[in-house]
Amino acid sequence: MPHWLAGEHRTELATAVRAALTGRDVHPVAAIHLEDVLTELHVAAARDAVWPASAARVRRATGWGEDVLPVRLSAAERSSVLAVPGLPDAVRAQLGDGRDE
Amino acid sequence: MTDARFGGSSAGLLQRLRPTRVGVADLREAAEAVLPALATPRLRVGMVQRTGAGSALVVEEDERQVRIGLHELADEMTQAGVAPTATGIAAALTSWVAHRPVADAAAAAGGIAVLDWADTSSTRVGWRVVVRRGELALPWTPSSAAGPDEVRRTRSAASARAHDVDLALRVEGPVALWSHRDLPVLATSSLVDPDRMLRRIAAVGLEMPDMHVVVTPQRPVACAGPGIAARLAGESSEPSVTLPREELPDLSWV
Repeated sequence: MPHWLAGEHRTELATAVRAALTGRDVHPVAAIHLEDVLTELHVAAARDAVWPASAARVRRATGWGEDVLPVRLSAAERSSVLAVPGLPDAVRAQLGDGRDE
Repeated sequence: MTDARFGGSSAGLLQRLRPTRVGVADLREAAEAVLPALATPRLRVGMVQRTGAGSALVVEEDERQVRIGLHELADEMTQAGVAPTATGIAAALTSWVAHRPVADAAAAAGGIAVLDWADTSSTRVGWRVVVRRGELALPWTPSSAAGPDEVRRTRSAASARAHDVDLALRVEGPVALWSHRDLPVLATSSLVDPDRMLRRIAAVGLEMPDMHVVVTPQRPVACAGPGIAARLAGESSEPSVTLPREELPDLSWV
């Protein structure tokens, strides 16, 4: 299930993940998952550039802004993100309940 | 409007759900007004009277001929939700003529190679020649009169022209995206020269030693390493084909 994140939340997520990756206390396996989260943030934007129609339909139906994109994380990636200490509450809430389609 | 042949001047939802009929008399009037201006020395457009079958519209260009009864065309416009006004019918008719088949000579003179679906289930892609016509890019199917050498020459020239198509490159993290400003179908023209793509990708600072391409005809082309390409395509509900760059030269013509 994708997490629908606005541009602001994607930026905050990326910032928090990068900060965690530069720290020393992140587990090597979690670090791999967090790197994949950063990749997914780019891939989500690329996916929307190649196939914009399906996300645009959801945005129209929900009234969400143009910068809201579906971000698709595996369970392990999501868990690793939720374990990041500096994750802003707003982003945590988005990833916690998934913001259903 | 769902039928691209009648253009983008879409009627409203109500018109599509409960279409008002496009009248044959109105279509005839629009044809008389619109068709003379569309004719060129090579393109003949006009109406002919068929014995006992009403009038037909005829479009002829080189070896191609399209002939359709006014009743049939009016029905198709109705089904497509064309607004049954003089302006709506004229616009739809102009678009319909613009979507006529591509003649062999036009393909030979200006064809460009792009990737298109090679099967009806959208699982394979292959090369195809398209020709720009105003704001459209239309596929060419060789006529029965075109010999193998002519077809080969036209395809070869189209591949050569594909090298010169000016595409925009956008980098999104580890993904390179190629698109054409006006005609989405031309985005895949870049794939005739993957080495050139790699050089441009490297020039903007992105390393891509094992480039894979994610192709959906008519959409921007995405290039990335194999794992990222799989992530990009695997999580999309849209049909696409992912290929390592080494397989691009082996694609056949549709």
